[in-house]
Amino acid sequence: MKRILILFAIAAGLVPQWASASEPLKVVTTIETLADLARRVGGEKVSVESLSHGYQDPHYVEAKPNLTISLHRADLLIRVGLDLEIGWLPILVTESRNDRIQPGQLGDLDTSTLVEVLDIPTTQLTRAMGDIHPKGNPHFWIPPVNAVRIAKGIAERLKQLRPEAKDYFEAQFAKFLSDIKGRAREWEAKAKPLAGMKVVTYHKSWTYVSKWLKLEEVSYVEIKPGIPPSPDHLLRLVALIKAEKVSALLMEDYYNKAIAQEVAGQTGAKLVPMPSDVGARPGVKTYFDLVDAILRNLDGVIR
Amino acid sequence: MHLQSKILALVSVACWHVAVFAQPMPANGGGAGQDRGVAARTGARVATADAGMPVPTLTDQLDAAARRPIASAASAPDGGTLEPSLSDQLDAAAGKPVPATGAPPPAAAAAEGGSRFFQSLNPDISVILTGAAGYGQRAPLFLAGDDPDLKGGTSDHSAGITLQELEVAFQSIVDPYFRADVFLTIPNMSGLEIEEAFLTTTSLPAIQVKAGIFRSGFGRENGMHLHVQDFVQRPLINSYLGPDGLRPPGAQVSWLLPLPFFVQLTGEVFSVAAPDMLANFASPEPVSTFGGGRRTDLTYAGELKFFVPTSESLSVFGGLNVATGVTPGFAEGDTTLYQGARSMLYGADLYVKYKPPNQAVTYISLAWTSEYFLRTIGATGGNAGLTDGGFYTQLVLQIARRWFVGLRQDLLGWPSSEVQPLNSRTTLNLTFYPSEFSKLRGSVQYDALDSQASRLQQIAPSPVNSFAAYLQFEVAIGAHGAHKF
Repeated sequence: MKRILILFAIAAGLVPQWASASEPLKVVTTIETLADLARRVGGEKVSVESLSHGYQDPHYVEAKPNLTISLHRADLLIRVGLDLEIGWLPILVTESRNDRIQPGQLGDLDTSTLVEVLDIPTTQLTRAMGDIHPKGNPHFWIPPVNAVRIAKGIAERLKQLRPEAKDYFEAQFAKFLSDIKGRAREWEAKAKPLAGMKVVTYHKSWTYVSKWLKLEEVSYVEIKPGIPPSPDHLLRLVALIKAEKVSALLMEDYYNKAIAQEVAGQTGAKLVPMPSDVGARPGVKTYFDLVDAILRNLDGVIR
Repeated sequence: MHLQSKILALVSVACWHVAVFAQPMPANGGGAGQDRGVAARTGARVATADAGMPVPTLTDQLDAAARRPIASAASAPDGGTLEPSLSDQLDAAAGKPVPATGAPPPAAAAAEGGSRFFQSLNPDISVILTGAAGYGQRAPLFLAGDDPDLKGGTSDHSAGITLQELEVAFQSIVDPYFRADVFLTIPNMSGLEIEEAFLTTTSLPAIQVKAGIFRSGFGRENGMHLHVQDFVQRPLINSYLGPDGLRPPGAQVSWLLPLPFFVQLTGEVFSVAAPDMLANFASPEPVSTFGGGRRTDLTYAGELKFFVPTSESLSVFGGLNVATGVTPGFAEGDTTLYQGARSMLYGADLYVKYKPPNQAVTYISLAWTSEYFLRTIGATGGNAGLTDGGFYTQLVLQIARRWFVGLRQDLLGWPSSEVQPLNSRTTLNLTFYPSEFSKLRGSVQYDALDSQASRLQQIAPSPVNSFAAYLQFEVAIGAHGAHKF
């Protein structure tokens, strides 16, 4: 009788099943770039799934119940942090009934703790400024230095979760580092002519890329996050773009382009939609594709 | 502190050969902050812990700022490259240790360069304010507790302005085992109520326990707070669950079935209080389904919810529900009919949502919700058993980024019974969201009653069929809430 009860409890999922050492660790990430980095570092010892797709706005993912199932089984949740996922992830994590990935557990990796965070507000915030991230700008995963930091953080966490595979994860990370360094000269060469380029971005979400490539951000189209720009602001922006001779208007693929097209049309600045995450476009399948695509798009402006 | 940092800055500028001076200074420290700002703008190296470079004097910095053309200000100087190559930067990034895991180490995080923000262990607090103004040819029947109550009788105009609801929420993780959510509400300025106050377990495998006062998972509409609803008023079938919906003190166990898709089984037990005033034949209050009998007569509910992600854009979320309890009955003259009779409530709900995940393609989305309730009250004291039910179906179409159109058809008393006459309501509304934290809504509705129903002849609503219009505003301040699907 007792044995039957135990079997039933296991079948019902009432007894936690820790993945055995031979099984791959189940890693769930909130965005696809983190999934790609986790795959590179975790290799064959992880199975990775992303909750959102690169062509989605990561602020507004719907908390669909099937995402609960993915989180329910996860050994490790890798997220961006800085409240990027605040509108949908907390509710899913609570409903996942998975204590391994609850905030503060070993199975919860907030990658914003790994990088140097920019745009941390130093003045009093109000929502009159729009839906601003009070803890700093969460769009940090594109510059290679940050990708290395994130990959290293993932490797360290995987080592803690699977100490017996320590050497494997270290070797995987070393391979990633050598891969990315293998591209460094080429990226640097492509980045060099971009330095000093004046740009207007749709949201203040390219800060990290601008800092890396030394782009000069002159202003923003949707200056208050989440609130469509006022006609006043757009008129001033058009004048500013003309006066400053801004060459490009950068925006993520997932935003509606109607307003930006209008501004670009009136000023002669080139509208440059860019992928901001792996999976944003069919051809952007890896982190390396993402950096290549961004550099290629920006290169198109100066040519 | 401010003065101290200024002095420190002056001393530092005077003896610039002292490397790594800027590090222990606060990021917003007066004079030093300005120096660093100038340095950053001129593209000169700012001293950092890992570089340990000397900082030029202010005079040199000002000269450099004046010399350098603005356009190339951000670019690295060509001659004598100060900046390490990308490859070296990557090596440096790989060499730095990552912060320890588990509890966040504040000191380490700050040293990483800036992720220092104000830490507070207070719960997340938010306040939601909903106001409504309206006009009705007569007061609506079967009003829910958080519907706008513009007073007025069943045979005179109902008009005015009301604070439909004030809600205050406190939400927090308790410890590694529980989280707690408290929602206090003042509906229609009528006194403080506990809308919900419950704990949720976070560390049990597969099952989750909720305990306290919480909205039952019976159906779809009952679980929703006012601010997530797509219409000014709750669906009429809410009256089957009680004037405030089903949210008495109780406990819930829900189990996520070990399947590759989402199926959740929920069992609930509630202690439903008796109504303040028993419904009677001449009053517009609905007959309570639960809350009768002795204190030991608990109300039990069970729900099965399933989710089918048909495609990325199209999702189907459904539920089958059952609840049983004891009805307090209703008054007719000096006698109470159906007192203590067993009541059963069956429900089915379906939510179909079409929303393409990529907004760059379109903002259009469409949500279709339908719910059906069927109630039986057992035979007692020579009275035959009663069976009645209700239904609503609604479409909410997003027509632009911030604009939504809603259409709903309610049928309460379908089938009808002696205590539940047929009430049909058609509602059309338009909602505008200036931002995620505010909304404005205009709504018109038409109520039609079965004038032959015996109970309605005693209530004598006039006019029998009535028109109403509402304007509603809603603002939310405080913590950013997450949205259920």
